[in-house]
Amino acid sequence: MKPWRWSAPRGARGLASRALVAAVAWLVIALPGPGAELEAVIKRGELVWAADQEGGGPHVFLDPSDPTKLVGFEVELAALLAEELGVRARFQQGQWDRLPLLLDRSADCVINGIETTPERQRDWHCSRPYYAYSLQLVARRDAGPESVEALAAAGPGGRWRVGVLTGSAAENFLRERPGFEVDPIGYDGTVDCLEQLKGGVLDAAVMDDCIAQFNDDRFPGLRGAGRPFAGGTYTILTARETPRLSEAIDAALGRMIADGRLKTLYDRWDLSGRQQMFFLRHAAEIPAAAPQGLVELVSGTLPLLLSSAAMTILLACASFPLAILAGLAVAIGRLHGPLWLRPVLAGYVEILRGTPLLLQLYALFFLLPKVGLAMPALGAAIVGLALNYSAYESEIYRAGLKAVPWAQFEAALALGMTKWQSLRHVVVPQAVRIVMPPVTSDFIALFKDTSVCSAITVVELTKRYSVLALSTGRIAELAVITAVLYMAMSWPLSLLSRWFEQRLENRDKRPGC
Amino acid sequence: MIDIDCLVAFRSGNRILDGVSLTVAEGTVTTLVGPSGGGKSTLLRCLNGLETFTAGSVTIVGHRFTAGPHSPRDLERVRRDVGMVFQQFNLFPHLSVIDNVTVAPRVVLGKPAVDARRKGLELLERVGLGRFAAARPATLSGGQQQRVAIARALAMEPRVMLFDEPTSALDPAMSAEVLDVVGELARGGQTMVIVTHDHGFARRAATQVVELIAGQVCRVGTAAEVLDESDKK
Repeated sequence: MKPWRWSAPRGARGLASRALVAAVAWLVIALPGPGAELEAVIKRGELVWAADQEGGGPHVFLDPSDPTKLVGFEVELAALLAEELGVRARFQQGQWDRLPLLLDRSADCVINGIETTPERQRDWHCSRPYYAYSLQLVARRDAGPESVEALAAAGPGGRWRVGVLTGSAAENFLRERPGFEVDPIGYDGTVDCLEQLKGGVLDAAVMDDCIAQFNDDRFPGLRGAGRPFAGGTYTILTARETPRLSEAIDAALGRMIADGRLKTLYDRWDLSGRQQMFFLRHAAEIPAAAPQGLVELVSGTLPLLLSSAAMTILLACASFPLAILAGLAVAIGRLHGPLWLRPVLAGYVEILRGTPLLLQLYALFFLLPKVGLAMPALGAAIVGLALNYSAYESEIYRAGLKAVPWAQFEAALALGMTKWQSLRHVVVPQAVRIVMPPVTSDFIALFKDTSVCSAITVVELTKRYSVLALSTGRIAELAVITAVLYMAMSWPLSLLSRWFEQRLENRDKRPGC
Repeated sequence: MIDIDCLVAFRSGNRILDGVSLTVAEGTVTTLVGPSGGGKSTLLRCLNGLETFTAGSVTIVGHRFTAGPHSPRDLERVRRDVGMVFQQFNLFPHLSVIDNVTVAPRVVLGKPAVDARRKGLELLERVGLGRFAAARPATLSGGQQQRVAIARALAMEPRVMLFDEPTSALDPAMSAEVLDVVGELARGGQTMVIVTHDHGFARRAATQVVELIAGQVCRVGTAAEVLDESDKK
């Protein structure tokens, strides 16, 4: 049979392929993705700006009276800026500490309370300042430090537990003061942080003064502790590859400052327009940091990465034995427990398997304190991981227990053992051998799932990586180092379990005369 | 020693035992013979409560079972006094031979490990496997495994031993090893109930032979009385 061939006339075929090439070319040239140069932005008719609505007010947040609407002084600033460029503004959501990564493809600029720092000056283009902030210490009305100076001495409960936004200037401020008796705890959102302060998990929080003032009437139990301190300016980030866009944004900001539109905007948001203009007109240039060599990078970051790897190991090694014990108990209960217990345990497994680990951690960490069961983050992380994995382990053990022949159980019973003695001495030891490989692979999976705990402020390896990657801008190099660290932890585990498995197998075949 | 009265048992709707009555005296060997599906194994498993029955009663070493589920405490008490050997040996593969033999005395009777081990080694010598104490069951031949299973049951010093087709999974040479051990026990006065297809063995060792057909006792008597009649057919 003759093979099928597309047999359109030559002319038509050429036309079709040329049309295809033209279409692709048009898509590439005429519809440039975000992260494009000024001309492309104007052609597109849209300035895509990135921010994190979870960061909260007064910057960018959902209007409480209309949760479909995004409001905030930066939303208005972005609109003004786009108007200056003759285009519309389009919002792009991103995680706050990762916003600059969006400049590659998804956004033209980042406008979200990004503080000007030497590292950012080096890695991205920072616009002229558009806002001047100070830091503010917040505490509960009845307890906590009186001012930032009080952090230099330990509090009544030892080191102060102080919440900050991850990757913010507040976090850097606390970390750069080794004399402070402070454990900074990173959050993704201001409201989460203030809730935890209210609930007693934190002793205090440090944030930009405008955020503290904005949230003041939402948290009547909290107070500003002492006067604002330190501080700096906010900048609009653009990619180094788009100098003309950066220039246009600088020029637009200059015009908005000069003709008073920015002051009007700040006054409307009650952000001390006059004082802002006083700072912004004379904001000092912050020099860019020198680029770092690889050796410097490794020697500077490795100790931090290693200590975070230790946290990863702690999380995994503390939670997995608990998960195994609980899982085994659940599996035995479902197969051999009283009849009323079996559907209860089945429900336990389905709920824990059917909901995301992240949500379970949130519930343990953010919801339990509301009913008076505050748990430190590390405890919540270990309990959460153990609960989540116990559901999976119980299913593995259930299969393992069922794989042990019933005759083994009968043989044990026939010797006069009780049901529990038979399980303990005959059935479970055999089931453990059967499930060794899947349990090991789950342990390795748990090792990596520990990274989810960063959502409840536990700083483990992945979190440390992302913070370091952003502060140094060396995303790829640090990713390799981090991956090597993960491999260095999980590879020996695989080897260990294979060795253990083989040892058990060999023992069962040993002639042993 | 054992008194079975009008036992009736169903399995998935089929009447497996249909009014079986039987008496076993202390120190005797009873063999249950008959075609497959006749109810021999079910009857044996009713004696130590691995199976329940619908009507009738079983009195064994002073305990009385009636119809329906048995209480776990009764079962544990009876099983301490009644040993069982299975067709497929059912040794515990994760334990060494000596641990197979000593696990029940240690766990059930709370015997000190040293005593259990001394007794266990003695039993292994008795079944001719003393030098395999440290081996794993998987490395032993079928005949050796079945002898370990016998030693394991004997370690509980049972007053009655039940054998469920102990040689059916074995070739003739291995069967002979196992039957030698069983014959030895018979001479020592061990009360035993043995399900078997081996008429030769039944003739040599049995005090009483019971032929079960379709869940009913067809013939009871000495080996000669029952087997001559049955072999004629």
